[in-house]
Amino acid sequence: MATRIGNWLDERFGWRRVWEVIFLRKVPKVNWLYTLGSATLFVGINQMVTGILLTIYYVPSPDQAYDSVQYITTQVPAGWLIRGLHHWGASAMIVLSVLHMLRVIFYGAYKYPREMTWITGIISGIIVIGFGFTGYLLPWDQKAFWATTVGTRIAEVTPIIGPWILRIMRGGEELTAVTLARFFGVHVWFLPATLAVLILIHLYLVVRIGISAVPKRGE
Amino acid sequence: MDEKDKQAYLERYEQEKKRGVPFFPDLIFKDAIVSLAIFFILLALAYFIGAPLEERADPADTTYTPRPEWYFLFLFQLLKYFPGQLEVIGVFVIPTVVLILLIALPFIDRHPRRHYRHRLGVAIVTSVGVIAVVGLTVLSIREAPPPAETAQGDQTAALYLENCAPCHGSAITVSPDTNLHALIAQGKHEDMPAWNADLTTDEIDSLVGFILSPGGSQLFTDNCGECHQAPELVAGDPIELKRALDLGPNYPTHTESGVPVWAEVLKPEERTALLNFLVAPDGQRLFAINCAPCHGQSVAISGGEPELRTIISQGGRHLEMPPWRDRLSTLELETLAKYVVDPTSVPEGDQLFGQYCSACHGERIPRADDFTQAQEIIASGGAHEVMPVWGEILTSEQLDALVGYTISAAQGLPVALGQQLYAQNCITCHGEFGEGGPNPARSGDIIPPISSAEYLNTRDDTTLRAILAQGQPNFGMSPFGAAYGGPLDDDEIDAIVLYLRSWEANPPVDLPPEVEVSALQIGGQEIYGNVCSQCHGEQGEGLIGPSLRASDFQTENTDQDIFDSINMGHPATMMIGWGEILTSEQIRQLVNYIRQFAEPESEVPGEIPSFANDVLPIFEAQCNLCHGTLGGWDGTSYDTVMNTGDHAPVVIPGDPEGSLLGQKLLGTHTEGTIMPPSGKMSEDLIAIILEWIAAGALDN
Repeated sequence: MATRIGNWLDERFGWRRVWEVIFLRKVPKVNWLYTLGSATLFVGINQMVTGILLTIYYVPSPDQAYDSVQYITTQVPAGWLIRGLHHWGASAMIVLSVLHMLRVIFYGAYKYPREMTWITGIISGIIVIGFGFTGYLLPWDQKAFWATTVGTRIAEVTPIIGPWILRIMRGGEELTAVTLARFFGVHVWFLPATLAVLILIHLYLVVRIGISAVPKRGE
Repeated sequence: MDEKDKQAYLERYEQEKKRGVPFFPDLIFKDAIVSLAIFFILLALAYFIGAPLEERADPADTTYTPRPEWYFLFLFQLLKYFPGQLEVIGVFVIPTVVLILLIALPFIDRHPRRHYRHRLGVAIVTSVGVIAVVGLTVLSIREAPPPAETAQGDQTAALYLENCAPCHGSAITVSPDTNLHALIAQGKHEDMPAWNADLTTDEIDSLVGFILSPGGSQLFTDNCGECHQAPELVAGDPIELKRALDLGPNYPTHTESGVPVWAEVLKPEERTALLNFLVAPDGQRLFAINCAPCHGQSVAISGGEPELRTIISQGGRHLEMPPWRDRLSTLELETLAKYVVDPTSVPEGDQLFGQYCSACHGERIPRADDFTQAQEIIASGGAHEVMPVWGEILTSEQLDALVGYTISAAQGLPVALGQQLYAQNCITCHGEFGEGGPNPARSGDIIPPISSAEYLNTRDDTTLRAILAQGQPNFGMSPFGAAYGGPLDDDEIDAIVLYLRSWEANPPVDLPPEVEVSALQIGGQEIYGNVCSQCHGEQGEGLIGPSLRASDFQTENTDQDIFDSINMGHPATMMIGWGEILTSEQIRQLVNYIRQFAEPESEVPGEIPSFANDVLPIFEAQCNLCHGTLGGWDGTSYDTVMNTGDHAPVVIPGDPEGSLLGQKLLGTHTEGTIMPPSGKMSEDLIAIILEWIAAGALDN
């Protein structure tokens, strides 16, 4: 019965071919360091799932942001867990991205024919940092407020366009409700959309070109 | 990497793949294990540590120490090495360069070889980068440990770590001319808050000391910390601090505390560091504490920096102290003399000192060891060693800061101050532009211009100061120096001299029109407003000169008297004879104008007490219980009030004091008792009756 349903679906989706191309492809024998990329992807998915769950209760306004985070942590069933996973996942994301990048550098995996894989990876890394920076403000606690005050002020030092960047980031001269609203918007819409596109390209390239082999001496 | 290399690589890769494994399940299995492990780690972190949530954001709370998330700490630390103008390097240049290098990496490293041994450049640069980031992060965490873990005992260091270190790191370099105390107290920009809301002045002082002399703070903790808290001593009296350090166990309050001879325990540079910590080389603060009590906001300096440095270093003669024996009783002199020998022995000396001495001496009590000597100095006054020999008291850093600040503070302000003082004190006689004019004190005398190059070139500053301070009694100029009974202190006189000197550089060009020309065209009101009001006030209320609206002036002087006063002046005062300047007609107009100042109360009929409404009710309530029924004076109606009584008439219209009624009410009558017999009526009621009599005792 299951086989028949599977066959019926395959006639329409062609998923067996997709499965073959993506999962049954042959890859060089590699070591454990090659799991860092998929681990990053896994934590990224963790961030997406827990992040979506958090938005159900989170309210991005200075009056209620703090209360809603407190409510999530103390009242919502498993809210503390969701928030905990999202919080620590952010750090894990940074660590794993960097380790993944270092692996690629030391194995020379950015070389022909994987230059574009590398570039999409680097841009994704910047997006991840952007996630960290924008997400830091959202709990609207002291740490969030003052670290963002300093952080946006540092950006102001950029030559020529610095003051302009500051105003764009803060939505004015001061750190206000507008800042919170735009950090929230950037954190849950702009950055995820951008990252999703970049990661899809990144994965497409990984599948198409294949993962690099561990270089041997003299190679 | 050319086509051949590319081809070779692709072929080699194909072979690797053939020898390889299928992605599923082999690699997926490994991935799953790692991902699962990471997930469990995240679960554990979420469970055991959780996601922290601090206090609700409070934009007004500037005491909060902002810390970025840990993965930004290295960047944060990096910025500390690029202070001020260089910040842009840490913020923009380095990150941008790193980012460009990363993106361009495949195009920079184009060699076909992949093993790191053949790519040592990339490997080394990357390793150095990783080590730098890790190192910076560790440094950042170590440099600003939580306050609880800070060095024990060194409170100032703890204060610094808590409030300053998060942004400024372990040390701050400031340029010598920074007014550090003011900067910390008032803040700078949004991220450098105004600390005066959260820190006490003492705490800010100790922070300034710590920043400028961190070693001194440690020395303080080690040597003084057992008995003293840092904030209680910082920015104290440098004279006392220096004395305590020099005298060691012989310092009065240190005799029983087992204090060592500091000169043996501490090296000279350590003593300097300690003094620099306790009295930070912060020019503005040094000036405010040590100089302002005598010198006010700033000092007018006509010499250069070396001269100023010499004056401050050497101290010496300063204000002339008046001979107090002229003004104080022997008892007061003795009290003051005891007080300066030992302030605790005579508490009442505190008040005397505040009244007579602190205007010049500030809070600092000049110490004298010998009662007789102190008494003699106070009694005789004269040239007086007020300014301490700062060169022996201050460290060279403190002296530099003080000189620097004094010079910068002197620029601009005193000339403006001098101009203001000139306008207040000199303009009446010397004119707005120093052009001179008729001498108000000596009729017929003309004051020559003092703004002319000839005048200014032929008199040095000392002469000008002396003239201002002592006046020119022979020419009618009163002394302006405080020491001679005038209103100006030395600094104010210096400021005026500076202003006069400014005429040398910018000679006043717009001399006002000749007085005579304009005098012919203006009438009483304008003349009064321009000339008389400077001394007598806009409304004749009296300033330097006497009040012209007071009733005794108006009643005791006939129009002719006032005319004569204006015409001839009063030789003993600043009132000149205006007859030389004004025409008789103008003086008459002036007299008429001055007459309008007469107290309006005595002219407006509505304000005269009415017999029926004001006076009679008083009689009825206070007098008529006896008078009118028991014989004698009868206070029940106007006629009886005026005509009855054993000594009638009791009311002489217009003469309250001469009327028996007035005398009885006031108790000035020599026979019989005051009325009412129970005691004097309230002043208000008496005043109504007296005013009614004075206004003619009308039946109104």
